[in-house]
Amino acid sequence: MLALACGVVVCTQRGNAQDKPLDPSSSVKIDLPADAPLSLISTTMGDSRATSRGGAIVLDLHMGLTLRNSGFKHIRGVTLLITAQEFAPGGKGSVARPSIDVPPGENFTLPIDIRLVRPVRESSGPLVRVQLDGVLFDDLSFFGPNKLSSQRALTFWEVEAQRDRAYLKQALQARGENGLRQEIVASIARQGDRQQLDVSLTRNGRATGVAVAATDHVEQFAFLNLPGAPVQPLEGWAAISGNEARSPQIEIVNNSSKPVKYVEIGWLVKDKQGRDYLAGSVPGSETTMLLPSGQRTKLQQDTALKFSRAGRPVEIDSMTAYVSQVEFADGRVWVPSRHDLDSSPLLRIAAPSPEEQRLADIYSKQGLAALIAELKRY
Amino acid sequence: MSAARHPSETDLALFAGGETSHLQNFLLDKHLRVCRDCQTKVTEYRALRDGLIDSEIPCVNWNLLAPEMRANIRVGLEAGACVRTSRATLSGSPGLAEWVQSWARAVNPRAVVGAATLALIAASAFYMRDARTRTADASRFDSNSAPVVQTTSSGPKLQDGDASLMLLNRSDAVNETVSARGDIRARVIEAGTVTITSVSLQ
Repeated sequence: MLALACGVVVCTQRGNAQDKPLDPSSSVKIDLPADAPLSLISTTMGDSRATSRGGAIVLDLHMGLTLRNSGFKHIRGVTLLITAQEFAPGGKGSVARPSIDVPPGENFTLPIDIRLVRPVRESSGPLVRVQLDGVLFDDLSFFGPNKLSSQRALTFWEVEAQRDRAYLKQALQARGENGLRQEIVASIARQGDRQQLDVSLTRNGRATGVAVAATDHVEQFAFLNLPGAPVQPLEGWAAISGNEARSPQIEIVNNSSKPVKYVEIGWLVKDKQGRDYLAGSVPGSETTMLLPSGQRTKLQQDTALKFSRAGRPVEIDSMTAYVSQVEFADGRVWVPSRHDLDSSPLLRIAAPSPEEQRLADIYSKQGLAALIAELKRY
Repeated sequence: MSAARHPSETDLALFAGGETSHLQNFLLDKHLRVCRDCQTKVTEYRALRDGLIDSEIPCVNWNLLAPEMRANIRVGLEAGACVRTSRATLSGSPGLAEWVQSWARAVNPRAVVGAATLALIAASAFYMRDARTRTADASRFDSNSAPVVQTTSSGPKLQDGDASLMLLNRSDAVNETVSARGDIRARVIEAGTVTITSVSLQ
């Protein structure tokens, strides 16, 4: 499988490139289930192109799908699965649109900007399949095949969005327009100041990139315990070699009264200069985990992450982990509260929610009145 | 086998490789005539197999194989030398020569040729299997052989050695988050909306 990917990617670098625009009728197949609460109104291909290089076709998609909410509930999020081939990296991806409010009967447009590869010799028929993976409604009910665990992702984004909208509404109510402005300006400043790492990720081995000569050692995680978290990390470690961390393992205990079916741990790293970064997340098993109240389990991933910044390796000095998402067996989810974020370094280091970024963007481009109007929509 | 009850992935993969029995072939073929999903899977398995056949050949580590090939040649030469020595010895020792000649007359020459052919096939199969295994092991520890997805200022990138492919070419991707499961998510914010594109190593 990997070898195929190697071949495909290598092929993108050489060979006789043949570039042509994609024909929407023959190149793309859009599958929406017959009972889906969405109907396809139109498709635009923009400057989507297929480039044949050696044994591979590179599909550069810049599509727009106009969809209609043909159901009876407000839609809060949608995920589409885009597939050019199943079995190799670069063959498929997904596009999600969280933080929307689409009433029944209304249209909305979903852009698809992604680049995929597939072998030339694959069967005739469409080059790309676009399938609905899930729709989340305002009552947090869900429709869709959920192959990508879209229900969980869309629900987490929606719960985070509700948290952040409530926080900003409360600031508006308690401190007026100036209070709201201060909060959103502070958010924009944090987003600007936040240090971002470039992360290389590989499975079952080492990440490539700029190497740092160093000896492997096992580094333990420190933990940031959030008071309201239903799950607590107990101990954890990863193999460290310079700017590379491999095979993270974290043991957790369910401190809540309900069984838990999914946990995600946020992973922070500190470099030798004392700067903190969000490195990524360590998710639990998608399918096998069901953690009863009071029980322990271990989250582990057989991957290697290599960190750099502006092309230079970022050597890892220490690592901190915190519980960032919990899903209970009944489908309810937990995310850190604004108080949890405010009273820890997380507000500064961790990525803001998609909704906080969207609202900050509205304020930056359209002003305070537009932000207030947007908050009142929900 | 109805369209509603699909064959297993393993059977479809074996079918794609032409490695099913006549009966399985018949049943699978019958199912595939009416099931588009399974047809697609078989086509993808065939493409994958073809891709693997093409792409694995350059990955053979000839340096690793060279000593073994040299050893095989040496064994062959030594075996030839043994045969020559035996003949020389046989010619000088009539008692043993008579015994060997009587043994040769007793054994069916076709059986000897058949057994030799089978032995040759078995040896070749073992040799090829061994080569594949060592190639896979070598790639596992060769840091330049595994595909890598990485975050960049323009979105996620698939990298393999010196070759790379941008999976999302948007300079306005504001955030990329990495999951140790093997996923990268990139956010793009425009016109009051946020779009999250995800790519995966799997």
